[in-house]
Amino acid sequence: MRDPWYKRLTIEALLLLVAVAFVAPVILIYLTSLKPDSEIIKFQSLLPEHPIAGFHDNFGHILNSPEEVPINRWLANSIFISSATTLLVLTVDSLAAYALARLRLPGSRVIFALIIATLMVPGQILLVPLYLLLNHIGWIDSPLALIVPAGAGAFGVFLLHQFFHAVPRELEEAAMLDGCTRLQTFWHVMLPLAKPALATLAIFTFVGSWNDFLGPLVFLDSIERYTLPVGVALFQSSYAAEYGLTLAASVVCTTPILLIFLLFSKHIIRGIAAGGLKE
Amino acid sequence: MKSRSRRIDFTGYLFLLPYIILFTFFLILPLAYGLWLSFMRYELTSPEAAGSHPATFVGLANYREALADSWFRQSFFATLRFVGMTCPATLILSLLIALAISTIPDRRQQIYRLAIFLPTMITISVAGLVWRWFYAPEFGVFNAFLAHFGVKIPWLTDTHWAMKSIVIMTLWWTVGGPVIILLAGIRQIPDAYYEAAAIDGAVGWRRTFHITLPSLRPVLLFVVVLNVIGAFQVFGQPYVITTGLPERSTEVLLMYIYDVSFNNFRLGYGAAMSWILFLVIAIFSLIQFRLLREK
Repeated sequence: MRDPWYKRLTIEALLLLVAVAFVAPVILIYLTSLKPDSEIIKFQSLLPEHPIAGFHDNFGHILNSPEEVPINRWLANSIFISSATTLLVLTVDSLAAYALARLRLPGSRVIFALIIATLMVPGQILLVPLYLLLNHIGWIDSPLALIVPAGAGAFGVFLLHQFFHAVPRELEEAAMLDGCTRLQTFWHVMLPLAKPALATLAIFTFVGSWNDFLGPLVFLDSIERYTLPVGVALFQSSYAAEYGLTLAASVVCTTPILLIFLLFSKHIIRGIAAGGLKE
Repeated sequence: MKSRSRRIDFTGYLFLLPYIILFTFFLILPLAYGLWLSFMRYELTSPEAAGSHPATFVGLANYREALADSWFRQSFFATLRFVGMTCPATLILSLLIALAISTIPDRRQQIYRLAIFLPTMITISVAGLVWRWFYAPEFGVFNAFLAHFGVKIPWLTDTHWAMKSIVIMTLWWTVGGPVIILLAGIRQIPDAYYEAAAIDGAVGWRRTFHITLPSLRPVLLFVVVLNVIGAFQVFGQPYVITTGLPERSTEVLLMYIYDVSFNNFRLGYGAAMSWILFLVIAIFSLIQFRLLREK
């Protein structure tokens, strides 16, 4: 049944090569961020010759010059916007998904179908009207412009709906017989059961919000309101010749997400695989 | 009994309410508002001036303007070239990688999945920065390597190469998702299919073509449709890496819509072009459903 050993070896050797090629650029960001500019331009070896001096040069510089490039503010903005978005999405989506999956509301099927249909709507189409809408309510250049509209996305409702649908009804009924209200049942019985799905949704929302580029680019104006991804892009245009500084800013932007990825890779991989197999 | 069930229904709607408010206000409303805008002339001198310049109904004028606008056409065809190269390449590459990973023992699969998926986690301004450095004409990593063979490629400076370079970078950045979905699909195929095929003498590539690929059809459909929808909305890669150059050969449609809407504040025209892009995406999705779902 199995392929002969030389064939398996060839496949895995090729795969290893591909895997190295995929990871290498990310490792290069980190290694090169420890080089002074003169070393980057000459490019003689992958490893930095004077990593401590390079670290001091690049990271010391970006963290201590918040005047024209306030990277500390961008980091704080990114953390705030991504956390608030995640909290909002989890709260709103879990309540809605539970109601749609379990409460037998008249009209809920139509509502659910409408929500699912919007999964196919490409986000670009909302850009111009959403801009005008946010401008009208005075939210342009405010973190609210990125946080609140994210709560309208259908993905989380879809994901949690699938999950709540699979929980046995007996568990809920037992809680209700014990005198729990709907909200208590939801809070004490359903949410703890949904932890894996909630974790997946939380990670996806946080990473998506953190890495979002077009949203902050369109909806934020002033530099001190920027998030890290648009900040790094600004850095690039204002410090085009100073690769070391820009790479250090990139490291600040990338590290939190890489930590999340390494810690929760199982949730991420499982979430993506499940999303693809459901339909 | 009846009154009790009615009360439960009422709290049920309260559960639903917060999401429905957001959904209506930030998804359904802008969707309708955008369509309405696309039939309006709505041009501002600055965003602060919104309200002082009323929108005037112009019917299909914005759509007619788009068809006659040579920059619209050029950015539309740039987008088509991107989609035409990226989507088939993504499909083939992700299938090859997923098939390769599926042949190795489970214990070691995870490390390859993580490696292939890692770039997807990098935000576009960071990924673009690194790749601009790779592609740089003199000090670039690629040309420094190719110089050993006396070759020099104008990665980002030649109109024939620039879009290809963006596509190569995009493959690195986005192929991880399709690989993981396809791999999950491959693992769901029952062993019995392969055993039956082995009895009939199907091994190696024949097994792949007669068992694996047909069984993957629904998963492939999902991957392809999602990939095409995403590719038509390409923005960050050319925006960060080439800024649309050289000679606007990498200025894709969403970049042009962005420019018209938020640099020139011609919002009615921008909305109309967004709807054209939406219609094109919808048509492509329908064609794919037809082609892949039948049989």
